[in-house]
Amino acid sequence: MGEIWTTYGFPGVIIVAQILAVTVPLLIAVAYMVYAERKVLAMMQLRQGPNLVGPWGLLQSFADALKMIGKEMIIPAGANRVVFIFAPVLTMVLALVAWAVIPFDLGWVIADINVGILYLFAISSLGVYGIIMAGWASNSKYAFLGSLRSAAQMVSYEVSIGLVIITVLLCVGSLNLTDIIVAQSGAGGFWGWFFVPLFPMFVIFFISALAETNRAPFDLPEGESELVGGFHTEYSGMTFGLFFLGEYANMILMSAMTTVLFLGGWLPPLEMAPFTWIPGPVWFVLKIAFCLFVFIWVRATLPRYRYDQLMRLGWKVFLPFSLIWVVLTAGVLVAFGWLPD
Amino acid sequence: MLLTGIAFYIFAAVLVAAAVMVISAKNPVHSVLYLIVCFFNAAGLFVLMGAEFVAMILVIVYVGAVAVLFLFVVMMLDINFQELRQGFLQYLPIGGLIGLVLAIELLLIVGTWVIAPETSAVAAAPSPAIDAVTNTEALGRIMYTQYVYAFQASGLILLVAMIGAIVLTLRSREGVRKQSITQQVQRKREEVLAVRKVPTRGGV
Amino acid sequence: MVAMPDLLPALPELFLACAGMLLLMIGVFRGEGSLRLVSWLAVGALLVTGVLLVLGPTERTVTFSGLFVSDSFAVFAKLLVLTATALTIILSQRYLETEQLARFEYPVLLVFATLGMMGMISANDLIALYVGLELQSLSLYVIAAFKRDFAKSSEAGLKYFVLGALSSGMLLYGASLVYGFAGTTNFDALAALFAAGETPAVGVIVGMVFVAAGLAFKISAVPFHMWTPDVYEGAPTSVTAFFAVAPKIAAITLFIRVLVDPFGDLLAQWQQVIWFCAVASMILGSLAAIQQSNIKRLMAYSSIGHIGYALVGLAAGTEAGVRGVLIYMAIYLAMNVGTFAIILSMRVQGRMVEEIRDLSGLSKSHPMMALAMAIFMWSMAGVPPAAGFFGKFYVFMAAVDAGLIVLAVIGVITSVVSCYYYLRIIKVMYFDDLTEPLERPSRAASLVIAGTALFTFPVFFIFSNAILTGAATAAASLFQ
Repeated sequence: MGEIWTTYGFPGVIIVAQILAVTVPLLIAVAYMVYAERKVLAMMQLRQGPNLVGPWGLLQSFADALKMIGKEMIIPAGANRVVFIFAPVLTMVLALVAWAVIPFDLGWVIADINVGILYLFAISSLGVYGIIMAGWASNSKYAFLGSLRSAAQMVSYEVSIGLVIITVLLCVGSLNLTDIIVAQSGAGGFWGWFFVPLFPMFVIFFISALAETNRAPFDLPEGESELVGGFHTEYSGMTFGLFFLGEYANMILMSAMTTVLFLGGWLPPLEMAPFTWIPGPVWFVLKIAFCLFVFIWVRATLPRYRYDQLMRLGWKVFLPFSLIWVVLTAGVLVAFGWLPD
Repeated sequence: MLLTGIAFYIFAAVLVAAAVMVISAKNPVHSVLYLIVCFFNAAGLFVLMGAEFVAMILVIVYVGAVAVLFLFVVMMLDINFQELRQGFLQYLPIGGLIGLVLAIELLLIVGTWVIAPETSAVAAAPSPAIDAVTNTEALGRIMYTQYVYAFQASGLILLVAMIGAIVLTLRSREGVRKQSITQQVQRKREEVLAVRKVPTRGGV
Repeated sequence: MVAMPDLLPALPELFLACAGMLLLMIGVFRGEGSLRLVSWLAVGALLVTGVLLVLGPTERTVTFSGLFVSDSFAVFAKLLVLTATALTIILSQRYLETEQLARFEYPVLLVFATLGMMGMISANDLIALYVGLELQSLSLYVIAAFKRDFAKSSEAGLKYFVLGALSSGMLLYGASLVYGFAGTTNFDALAALFAAGETPAVGVIVGMVFVAAGLAFKISAVPFHMWTPDVYEGAPTSVTAFFAVAPKIAAITLFIRVLVDPFGDLLAQWQQVIWFCAVASMILGSLAAIQQSNIKRLMAYSSIGHIGYALVGLAAGTEAGVRGVLIYMAIYLAMNVGTFAIILSMRVQGRMVEEIRDLSGLSKSHPMMALAMAIFMWSMAGVPPAAGFFGKFYVFMAAVDAGLIVLAVIGVITSVVSCYYYLRIIKVMYFDDLTEPLERPSRAASLVIAGTALFTFPVFFIFSNAILTGAATAAASLFQ
């Protein structure tokens, strides 16, 4: 009995604790992300934003969550019940499991696997299923059209995300996320982060991340002027709430990926006194927050793309460009002998 | 390794059950979804074997891309399932017979499973120890050296598939007005904008 | 750093691959109406490839870590394939233009198919075999459906694709069994393993039979022939002309290499399978063709029969047998390209016709064409002194020498039966009344018809020595 406890029980408890330590703050972060988005948008549009629930409206998200839980969950007649309920659950679960491999500091990671970046890429490419299944199971044309659009959009932009990841991998020589961040460290501080040498790829990655999370200006799947609510037209109550949480959790995840790949993860911007005093996880969170701010900023600034323009951008601009850049990066690395071993 | 054993049996059992559901599900969309479950569990089995790279690629390529397109097509088809099933009983005997023959063959083969002792000497690419190199690196090492020919030829096959898809489906429609971005960008203000002084009650 | 593999033996393939991609670029950038240019460039590329082949190493060289082999057997077969492709591209041009199929992808796909065939011929590993086969098959599926607005062509493409995928599946299943039981996919290693003399595991034999079944599909040997008539009839005629020749040559060469090279010591195990396929193909080819009225279907059954005769040589499993098959395929190439050049010229008032009765009275309107057709039919029936006779002669002799007397006798009987429908075409051309005269064939078609007809009848005797020694060296290189 004691042996089972030491081999399985004790490590099991630690793992559960680690998981909780990541997911609970994440869910709170999602709540405040919603609040932050409303506040920032309001400021950019010279409005007030939420300001009644709690001091400065800080408890607004929790009030919304309570409302969502309290509402009735309506399942339309003719919907495919099992798939209909499974779809939002899948979206939320995928948004959470991806965090297993994200390193918050050297060694601060739940699962430090060799193929971390592939795991992230695989999980993010699965996100499309939640949307397709929701659209199909709703048995409604708005939802179906929205989900088809979204699936086509996500598959298209995944191609360029994959190529961008390859350029980073070429510079690192490892698929491990910790290795990727360590490869960006150096005396030069932020000059060593990959957004400097791979700046065009950084831009492409960020734009593709917008498309991958169905955010403005690529939020066609839920383009309310044409498709009502897109794939979640028929959802209500907590099923809708899960989609909502999933979308924001995915935004945070994509920001974390951007941080890991291009912004040096937990590394301080300069390797000198005042910066190195601040612990790594704080830098990591700050960088994510910066990326999220840009997400919102873009939403407040740009009008929505037309669907053919979206596809054109993905296939005719990003794909060839990132392909050329992969070749170029590989060529430069080989020519100057900068290949990592 | 109790946990690994349990995980193996869970993955394997779910894989087989989902595979059965793929062919027995009434609704083709459910079939595709079960297929995805299959891929997932197969990936899980690969992870248990220590082949993490293959597992991830399986998920990225098959689940993330191939099955999505599959699902697309199946969802958009308007199939009458009753009609599809009509021939089923008619073909069941012959299909079952062929299946039975194949199963017996497989059993016979498994029964006589002998690997010649020389085989390990001639094995094409002995795999290095798992802890010596990561299996991404090990795969890369033989794929770009020993099997570079097959690798390049596969690339050509994909090129041909691409040409084929374009040849068989691309139609340039006449009389469609397309957006020309260069034209839009090249427009000058002078060409499209004129400021006129409009006299009162005179109109333009 | 790892040493570069020796690229020299594969130089022709590398050149052709680059040329194919270059042609694709030229086609894309020139846009509509570049068919003629791309076609002639493709023919040029094939010619250069042929020259590179001839200049290349003749002794057996293995490269790419044993995946690729180049020997005089491969060179001989590749030259045949290149000739067939080049002639088909030349013949296709006018057909494509009049049928509104003038798109530059056609020659490009043919070039890639040829590349796949060359890969098949030079395969020295089950993996190389498979990728070569798929490259060839995928290109063929696409060009079978090239006339995409016609249901029949799409049907042909789809049918070919579905059945082809099935056969690839069988082949892969077999290959995986072989790999599982023998531990290697390399032909040399396999041969060494079986030469050790131990009785091979059942799994290896089952795997080998599955591989053979997959390959038998590609050469359309009975009982894997079902797709052939429909695909031949439905595909555009120029594509049928291609299907009838180049893929057959490549696939049978591959078949020979697989059975003789790695599985040569298992002769006793595969001989009966090939024996059965040969007999069934010969019988079906000669009987089923009798009732056909569509000349493309007739040619489909005729090709099944011819494959049966070629398999007779393979069933012998000897050097003489392989030499016989190579000679047979060389003659088959000339006869079939010539016949299809005539079929491609069967136009009445601007539309294509493909019934046998449309040939009636050809001797009055086009006496030279009728004469050429007569020579081809004569040769296909295997009547001396046309070249086809010698093809059959060497194959049957090899079978008799190997003790397969029953097989040879069945072969002779079926070729007598097949005389009926070959000679019926001659009868239709010479003794039936002229209804509607065919249009004049294009200059390229006339040249090809004349060339192949002359080759089939008198010229073959002049060059017979060269071809015989070529085939003999090729066969010998396989049996080293």
